[in-house]
Amino acid sequence: MKSKPLFQTAAILVTAVVLALVTNAFASRDRKMALTGSYPNALRVPGEMPPSKSPALPSQAARGVAPAPPPAIPEPTGATTSQTIAGEAAGATLTAAPPTATSHTQSTATAAIETVGLNPAAKTPKAPAPTPPALTPATGEDPLKRFPTHPDKPFVEIAFSDVNALHTKKVLFLDARRASVYEQGHITGARTYSVWESDIDDKVRKLFDERSDPRDQALPIVIYCSGGDCEDSHMLAQKLWGIQFNNVYVYKDGYPDWQQHGAPVHTGATP
Amino acid sequence: MKEYLAHPWLTIRVQLALGAIFVIAALPKIADPPSFAHMIYNYRLVPSSLINFSAMAMPWIEVLAGLALILGVWRAAARTIVGVLLAVFIIAISVNLGRDNAIDCGCFNVADRGKTHEQRIFDMKVDVLRDLGMLLMVGQLWYAAKREDDAPVERS
Repeated sequence: MKSKPLFQTAAILVTAVVLALVTNAFASRDRKMALTGSYPNALRVPGEMPPSKSPALPSQAARGVAPAPPPAIPEPTGATTSQTIAGEAAGATLTAAPPTATSHTQSTATAAIETVGLNPAAKTPKAPAPTPPALTPATGEDPLKRFPTHPDKPFVEIAFSDVNALHTKKVLFLDARRASVYEQGHITGARTYSVWESDIDDKVRKLFDERSDPRDQALPIVIYCSGGDCEDSHMLAQKLWGIQFNNVYVYKDGYPDWQQHGAPVHTGATP
Repeated sequence: MKEYLAHPWLTIRVQLALGAIFVIAALPKIADPPSFAHMIYNYRLVPSSLINFSAMAMPWIEVLAGLALILGVWRAAARTIVGVLLAVFIIAISVNLGRDNAIDCGCFNVADRGKTHEQRIFDMKVDVLRDLGMLLMVGQLWYAAKREDDAPVERS
């Protein structure tokens, strides 16, 4: 026995791997994981991310309005990710439009900032505080027009007033937290889309099938998790952006903030 | 002093304690691999493609090594694995302390406990000290085994 520590070590490691694979194969849906995950920024420390000047968009041509290709759930580029997270680390709620964006997307993104008031720097002191719901149209204009597509970035972070306005308009809400947490309470109408569970790519593909029309892909989608330093919603947003959803919003303060505002919640496995 | 350090009375207790710690630490991770994967992700040290596999396999390695220590079988392999794991944990937490990336270590609990940055940094320092203490325990096991191996064989 003593002469075989290497064999014993290998046996323990191999047995552990076999047990891991077997238990994962028989795990419940919310406990099961894909063998290989896709997590942007897995090697990037949030506080050390330099602001990216020219994020490389994943196949800008493929992200046009042409009929959608089969969803491959690509992993977004780290450069773009670092840009958005860097903005977050710096306290910004919206990242600047990258220089590589077309003039159309630049103006659209700028309009989003100025119109929706997503960027604190863009807010002027003379602007009155929005009354909830923030997007109540005074002129009869469709509030959703204030949330234009932003194909140059995976997501835009928004706060409660905007989230509430979108919720009132019954846009799609996705809960990026674990399914077990979702069942304990979630924003009414939200679907569970945990990025840590094995069925996430299937769910994303299903969503893509539901909204295969480019016009549907331009509809706003709100994603949230637990607020604070939770990044699950950002990861999910990047997955969606990678398959042409170009109007995704991340509720930065997440579910705890929603609860604090006394907004409608629902418990259980159904939206 | 050396005799005390390598005394079987001490060795068996250290072995049991280390084994129990590793088994107990692994159970929440086995129960909820996705949460443990999230913890591993937070370290920002493991490549994306290896996070899920690490989250699945590492707890079982801990359990098997811990059980081997408790049962007193394959002790050399078990203490080697435990020692390597502890060294990896110490390095991983220390690297993140060095870059001020406050994380929950995920050592005994994989739930997000909503701590502040300062609380996490403090806990990480405690975790490093705790793991260093356990690494000393592994050192004791290694020393006792070495003394045992070096001792002349008594023939009756």
